[in-house]
Amino acid sequence: MKKKVLATLLATAMVAGSLAGCGSSSDTTATEDTAATEETTEEAAPAEEAEASTEESADAADPVANLIAATTDTVTLTVWASEEDQDLTTQLLEEFKAAYPDVTFDITLGAESESTAKDTILTDVEAAADVYAFADDQINELVQAGALQEVAATYTYDVATENAAGSVEAASVDGKLYAYPMTADNGYFMFYDSSVFTEDDVQSLEKMIEVAEAAGKKIAMDISNGWYLYAFFQGAGYGLSLNDDGVTNTCTWNAAGATDVAQAIIDLTASGVLVDMSDEDMATQIAEGTVVACVNGTWRAETAETAWGENYAATKLPTFNAGGTDYQMSSYSGYKLIGVNPHSANIGWAMLLAEYLTNEASQTVRFEARGLGPANTAAAASEAVQANPAISALAAQAAYATPQRVGGNFWSPAETLGQILASGNPDGTDLQTLLDTTVEGITAPVE
Amino acid sequence: MKKALNAIGNYFKNLGIAFAKGDVWVKLSSVVMGAGYFARKQIVNGVIMLLVEILFIVMCIGYAAPNLAKFGTLGTVQFEQVFDPLTMTSTVNDYDNSFLILLNSMISLFLILVFILFWIANMKTVYRLQLKKENGQHINNFREDVRSMFNEKFHITLLTLPVIGVILMNILPILVLVAVAFTNYDQQHMPPNSLFTWVGWTNFKNLFTNSVTVTFGYSFKKVLVWTLEWAVLATFTTYIGGILLAKFINDKKTKLPKMWRTLFIIAIAVPQFVTLLLVRNFFADNGIVNTFCTSIGLTDFLKSVGLVSSNLSYIPFLTSPGWAKVMIVIINIWVGIPYQMLIATGVLMNIPEDQIESARIDGASPLQIFVKITMPYMLFVTGPSLITDFVKNINNFNVIYLLTQDVYVTSDQLLANSNAKEIDLLVTWLFRLTNEYYNYKMASVIGIIVFIICAAFTLITFTRTIKGDKEEEFQ
Repeated sequence: MKKKVLATLLATAMVAGSLAGCGSSSDTTATEDTAATEETTEEAAPAEEAEASTEESADAADPVANLIAATTDTVTLTVWASEEDQDLTTQLLEEFKAAYPDVTFDITLGAESESTAKDTILTDVEAAADVYAFADDQINELVQAGALQEVAATYTYDVATENAAGSVEAASVDGKLYAYPMTADNGYFMFYDSSVFTEDDVQSLEKMIEVAEAAGKKIAMDISNGWYLYAFFQGAGYGLSLNDDGVTNTCTWNAAGATDVAQAIIDLTASGVLVDMSDEDMATQIAEGTVVACVNGTWRAETAETAWGENYAATKLPTFNAGGTDYQMSSYSGYKLIGVNPHSANIGWAMLLAEYLTNEASQTVRFEARGLGPANTAAAASEAVQANPAISALAAQAAYATPQRVGGNFWSPAETLGQILASGNPDGTDLQTLLDTTVEGITAPVE
Repeated sequence: MKKALNAIGNYFKNLGIAFAKGDVWVKLSSVVMGAGYFARKQIVNGVIMLLVEILFIVMCIGYAAPNLAKFGTLGTVQFEQVFDPLTMTSTVNDYDNSFLILLNSMISLFLILVFILFWIANMKTVYRLQLKKENGQHINNFREDVRSMFNEKFHITLLTLPVIGVILMNILPILVLVAVAFTNYDQQHMPPNSLFTWVGWTNFKNLFTNSVTVTFGYSFKKVLVWTLEWAVLATFTTYIGGILLAKFINDKKTKLPKMWRTLFIIAIAVPQFVTLLLVRNFFADNGIVNTFCTSIGLTDFLKSVGLVSSNLSYIPFLTSPGWAKVMIVIINIWVGIPYQMLIATGVLMNIPEDQIESARIDGASPLQIFVKITMPYMLFVTGPSLITDFVKNINNFNVIYLLTQDVYVTSDQLLANSNAKEIDLLVTWLFRLTNEYYNYKMASVIGIIVFIICAAFTLITFTRTIKGDKEEEFQ
């Protein structure tokens, strides 16, 4: 009998409980929802925040001092740098730790190429590194995905004024600075063998082809790649830009007269001297001696220098002739930047570290250790940097270069356009139709 | 089909009986799980059931309810963050993460379903206990129940872990990915910063419509056709090649058969991706094969025949659609044959010698023996594996991707406009879409279509080949 009573009691309790549970649960979620929008909860580091805010009144003038005072626990940070940058970054990280002796750091360094950082980060922004290096072409997608903390304030040096204007532009989206410029050497320009070409020859692409043809050699350019194909169309004044939504493009490559540019590319490659060639092939053919000039970036400097020795030279891109007018070839300027993940638990320290990794001293060290062109104007003004042919060629090209701001739909159609033009338009498609279809693809809405 | 329906019918009928004929304890069990056990003095079982129920209710309130409440919209609160430059910290609002809501809702729904099944099972067991008591049968105490888990019910104990594994690792992720096909989860709607939401069948419609700007439909048709062509070609060529190779090696006239076999097996030992990347470099436009072909004049010959267009100075092995397709099939033969040879060797050795012997006595030629005895036997034994090979080839990512990535540029503008290439299989296209363009929703749609194609094909062919008394027929 006792058991029965107990069981019945339990049963009623359960029923009541579950019913009450249901009723109240829906109530609370409703209130929570409204509360959530109004009230902001502290995610970053509640304890630190609370401490910091109490001390704020005492000494609001020096945020870094505040931060040091507010930091009691070990600061855990993850940093991603490229495989080649590991040694250098390890060294810089040690120096950074030494600069703040009162704080215990636990900094993990991971390897992630600047060119593919976006792919890894966008897979899971919250799990990505606190501080990471990336190429500036990824900045739009990273900002859009909320993977970059806006550089709203700087603490140890002024990022916007100490770096070259182009690099600051490349690190900004809609006028807001989102990253710290690290290097200014990710663009492309012309490498050439000065035993074949004189300095006058390399002023015009037609002249270069003439000279190379006479020498029985080739000039290489990865025309079937939107990144390089851009040089022709932008150079002749046909625009390509990213829309405000940050994903779709505006492109005028099919505007009146653009067919002249397309025809020019067909004509230039028709001789078989200017060859559409991938980066890897260029490396082998430069070494073999068949290619005596190429449009490429600093990453090929070593190959060219080894192959051509004393005759290794570099300069801005040449002009090309379309429809009777000479146009200076344009290019994408390229910068490597350091970004801070807004989901970092130690956002303040992450920002200080990013500043440290990109300050003048670090950029100088980076040039000395790895030959990477500094974005910092003071570091770039040094004699050693000025004497580097590849980096000074980039500087000469900078006047005609634009930062890479383009949505994902550009690449595939542009690649195909380059391929068709470089192979001489084998199907004989009307050039205007060709360009129209390409532009249709480039400007397509993102599904 | 009828059987399945009957089983489902019985399942609910038994539940009805338990409700109708159960005593007060059985009925009480529907609200307080474990009540029926308490009544039959199975205290431990009763407590466990009760605990499960309490846990479930806690789970519902604390986990399922908040997530399922947002399941309809997949969240409404956008991520917002405010950085305070003075304290160098940022504050984040209590935002919704659409993907987590989707994932957690799926898990919640799944747990609720499991609980319902558990609840039904509980009702039936409790009713069975009542019957046992009424009939005066023995009712297990807890220790006996535990012991039975290691004896007559041992299969349940054994299978619990694997089943949980399959559910967690396979079924739940698949359900979530299927759900993604009905959302607008892509680059513009990527959590945690943005929300995504349900869009119904829009993605499926887009896949099959062919408007001016969206060439998805056009590309899908092309890619699908090549995928099927490839699957048929790849399966057929490696299969026949493997059998022929095994026949040659097993032939009595072949000298050093073991050496030949070992050589081919060594080819397997080299990781496939290494082989493929090497081969890709061999056949590059300026690769070793092209240099060789130019020097012996083959390139010029092919030009004069018209197989290579006249403005090229090389053979576009992996860079023009026609050549690339042929090369991919040929390279796949080379990579795939050793495996088939191994399988075929095993099967060939098991062909009843007496059949071949008697055929030979009757005056059959070797070819006749091959066509009338060896091949039917091979087909019969390896039929199922042939089908799995076909399905595997539909999804043969390695060969296509490794041979053509970074090398092949399409000259079909319409394909290019939807990021596809002539040599893409559905699965490589899918990879490109997700990996390079973060178009998760379309990738999910294509994934579902690939699954349907594979599943339909497998089902049809399996039922055809294994149906009935084929074995008797063959003997």
